[in-house]
Amino acid sequence: MSEVVRARGLRRRFEVPGAWPWSPARLVTALDGVDLDVAAGEVVALVGRSGSGKTTLARVLLGLEEPDGGEVHLERVRWDHLPERTRRARRPRYQYVPQDAMSALDPQQTVREHVVETLAVLAAVPRAEQGREADVLLGRLGLKHRADALPRELSGGEQRRVTLARVLALRPRLVVADEPTSGLDPDRRAQVLGDLLGNLEADASCVLVTHDLDAVEEVAHRVIVLHEGRVIETWTPRAGRPAHALTRALLDPWQTRGAS
Amino acid sequence: MSLVASLRGLTVVAGGRTLVRGVDLEVVAGRVTALAGPSGAGKSVTARACLGVVEVEPGVTEGSLRFPPLGDQDWLAPPRAAGELRARFAPLRGSYLAYAPQSAASALNPGRTIGRQLELAVGRRAPAPDRAQVVALVRDGLAEVGLPEEAARALPGELSGGQCQRAALAVAVAAAPRVLFADEPETGLDPVLRRQVVELLVEVGRRHACGIVLITHHADTVARVADDVVRLVPIDPEAS
Repeated sequence: MSEVVRARGLRRRFEVPGAWPWSPARLVTALDGVDLDVAAGEVVALVGRSGSGKTTLARVLLGLEEPDGGEVHLERVRWDHLPERTRRARRPRYQYVPQDAMSALDPQQTVREHVVETLAVLAAVPRAEQGREADVLLGRLGLKHRADALPRELSGGEQRRVTLARVLALRPRLVVADEPTSGLDPDRRAQVLGDLLGNLEADASCVLVTHDLDAVEEVAHRVIVLHEGRVIETWTPRAGRPAHALTRALLDPWQTRGAS
Repeated sequence: MSLVASLRGLTVVAGGRTLVRGVDLEVVAGRVTALAGPSGAGKSVTARACLGVVEVEPGVTEGSLRFPPLGDQDWLAPPRAAGELRARFAPLRGSYLAYAPQSAASALNPGRTIGRQLELAVGRRAPAPDRAQVVALVRDGLAEVGLPEEAARALPGELSGGQCQRAALAVAVAAAPRVLFADEPETGLDPVLRRQVVELLVEVGRRHACGIVLITHHADTVARVADDVVRLVPIDPEAS
């Protein structure tokens, strides 16, 4: 299998401001030497406690944030030090699904307009085919009857699916999704995850940041467990139970120690 | 078994849509009642009706709500205009009825110290505690949720998110409420933190002999902590 992501020794530190303008800033290490490989067609989950560096890693992979050290290669091209002008032409291949769907959508655009604009601007689809292609995609995501709705008229699950539609319209090689199911109830979590993974091209890869290990166990080929900016376990769900205590606690928080 | 809240046949209509229909909910002191169901099933609406804060007209159209320790009054008796219910419940909120918010950071007053906010909440107790009692209750309240005494002098912005959540819980139970509502306290937390938050909530609520109403999406939480489960289903199938 060909590689889509190869990241080596990623480091990233932040200055976190204190509570008040006069409080001293603290230095937080979000990534402390992370390696990550993702093959074509692979679904890799990033899990860990809050503040373990998951979101930072996701953003650094796509160059939405620059690492302080280390390298990111996407499809064998060194990505992290490319100027944005060079990256832009390739960005449609590598897509990001943000955590907060509502803030990512244009409040004045309908569902259909979101997809049509993406097809026109980023996918260079001829005008005559934009509408038809958008309708096909919306149909597959169960959004056809909501095509003329505005984001605020949609439910949380529908808003997520619009962000997915926009990304899937580009037929990306890599999708990095930051908690695409947070805040949804279990049925809708499964539905949104299925909509994302089921509509990717066959050899496209997905990096999934999530707290929802139940869902991940079924769909991810590998689960990368981060703790304080380091990878502490790479778990293959099909190969059996995870080894590390933290991974087990994340998988079933109620199983260790007695119940309350 | 002492019943602290008894809701019968709650129906709420807003904007021409029926949000909940015929919901019954019994809350017993020291027990956890999970309010479960998918999004749009009316979990939050039910809790808000019990707190007298259904804003949209016509709001509550049917149902009765009794708090047996306070007598046989039906708190949802007509007139049920939103402003009317709000005023009627005002003396109960923050004393008999407590609400542990989903987002602690936005529920705490950013300009007041944690200690001062606890003092104000403690002052809602009846009979009103004297100065020495207030000091003791504030100290105990912080210790109970695992915050150090210095937290009393901190402003919410100086505490971490987890500390704020503990402080908000301390404020919620400070007035010795009999019914404690928690609306999805776990949303967006990592699984380990999720368990800690729920365990603390249940432990603190039980110690104060509150009847706890826990709104949650998580089946594992329901299985682990709930004594009773009220499961709601969406009325309008097209809302997905």
